[in-house]
Amino acid sequence: MAAVVSVKDLRKRYRSSDPWAVDGVTFELEPGHAFGLLGPNGAGKSTVVKMIAGLLRPNGGTVTLFGLDPGNPAARAGLGFSPEDPDFPKFLRAAEVLDYFASLLGLDEIDRKRRIPETLAFAGLDQERRQIRQFSKGMKQRLGIAQAILGRPKLLILDEPTADLDPLGRRDVRALIDRLKESGVAILLNSHLLSEVELVCDTVAIMAKGRVLKEGAMKEVVPEGRNLEDVFVELVQASSPPGPPRDQLPSFISDQDRQ
Amino acid sequence: MNGALAVARYTLIELSRRRILLVFVIIGALGILGLGVGLKVLYSVTSSSQGNFGPSNVDPAVFNRFLELLFLTYIFGALGIFGLLVAYGIGMTAIYHDLDSGAAVSIFAKPVSRLAFTAGKIGAAVAALLVIMGLLGIETRIVMFLFGGGLETTLTSAVLAVIGNTVVIMLLVLALSTWMNNIVAAIVAFIYYNVISGVIVFVHNLVENGVIGNAFFKVAFNILYWLVPHELVSSASGDLVRAQVTIQSSSGSTAVAGVPAASGPVDIAWWAFVVCVFCGLVYYSVRRRQV
Repeated sequence: MAAVVSVKDLRKRYRSSDPWAVDGVTFELEPGHAFGLLGPNGAGKSTVVKMIAGLLRPNGGTVTLFGLDPGNPAARAGLGFSPEDPDFPKFLRAAEVLDYFASLLGLDEIDRKRRIPETLAFAGLDQERRQIRQFSKGMKQRLGIAQAILGRPKLLILDEPTADLDPLGRRDVRALIDRLKESGVAILLNSHLLSEVELVCDTVAIMAKGRVLKEGAMKEVVPEGRNLEDVFVELVQASSPPGPPRDQLPSFISDQDRQ
Repeated sequence: MNGALAVARYTLIELSRRRILLVFVIIGALGILGLGVGLKVLYSVTSSSQGNFGPSNVDPAVFNRFLELLFLTYIFGALGIFGLLVAYGIGMTAIYHDLDSGAAVSIFAKPVSRLAFTAGKIGAAVAALLVIMGLLGIETRIVMFLFGGGLETTLTSAVLAVIGNTVVIMLLVLALSTWMNNIVAAIVAFIYYNVISGVIVFVHNLVENGVIGNAFFKVAFNILYWLVPHELVSSASGDLVRAQVTIQSSSGSTAVAGVPAASGPVDIAWWAFVVCVFCGLVYYSVRRRQV
């Protein structure tokens, strides 16, 4: 089966004096599979997904989307991308944003009339008449997911999709991922919520400092009797240089304990 | 093509909902009306007491022509200033807010090329500017009827010159705002277009009219003149100074030398070239932009 996304020895740094944000990342994603990209803050996860979405240019290596360069608009026709901290033209309303993006996706009038109300209802924004500038972070997050699925993508990239959602919203997103996987859509999930990744992903890669520390099927990465969080913490701590432990409390907090 | 139209359509909707632009338009409309009424009163007073204003031996027709041109210059000066405000307002927001807020991330991940995005943004920005300036221009012409007409040719060329100039400044701000903060972009555009280019054009006029005879200056400013955008001008400002010189009976060659002559075909071609260069610069900036 042809890979939806193929990433080989991908490298990226934002300035020549900066360390590599992404350093030699390689993986493939096939239709109907869910791939979880994990890592601590600054690991390079969002940089990887932005290169896959054609938003950033790599400094080295290759990335193909449906066999094409992601910079080519045709490659992005089958892509749905929900970015981390999504935002939209702030003077538009939710329905207008979806209509705008439907036009960019090339959807015809019939498809728009059917899909936009349904997608808004799915996102819980069908009754919302305010402009985006009056939206909360959670509402923007829901609209971010809604615009990502509007074009019925073959690849759905979700970058921290549930960070600003309430528990009901998280459950909806999990159900969406399961349903899309069943219908053959490839999912690339980038999340800090390890329990969520463990529930929905078939394959996982744990990154730190731009490198992949471990990658494989969920069962291989997480042995029986352990959970993903234990494996994640162990790998990330092992990759960090020796120093003060990260969970050490500031002295002014510890002092309060003694009083 | 569809992508560019969608970008243009929703950019226009966004621009129409920006209160700051509405405020600029209202202030512009009221300002032009107020200035017109004020100048009408001044005109009535001065034309009835010509001796209080300048030498008493001036031909009344020349004096009236001078007042008409004075009126025209002030009113189009006001139109130019309000046009500049609108141009800055559109140029600072049309692309910058999408890039700054992160909206561009969702847009650029869709199957739309950066060229279509740029074309849509520029198309919407120019269309919005033309509509606003067109409305203010129509208002200006209505105000000019207070004078009973007589300046039709000058009026048309003056309106077109003001609109042409605002398009250039808006494109410059638009291009710069994709590289830097939009406030910094507006300041840089002002310094480049209004200060540096303004001085170069002024000195070039002095060189062209023989006020500055130095050969080195002549060559240097001839080169510099064709490296910067220069404002399109109607014949009104030159005619005004000449009329003033006639009224005050002085030779006036030096005073007139600094005033640009009405723009000719070469200037208009240069304006079109500058517009193309700035459009290209906007596209290059958007294409290079990583979000």
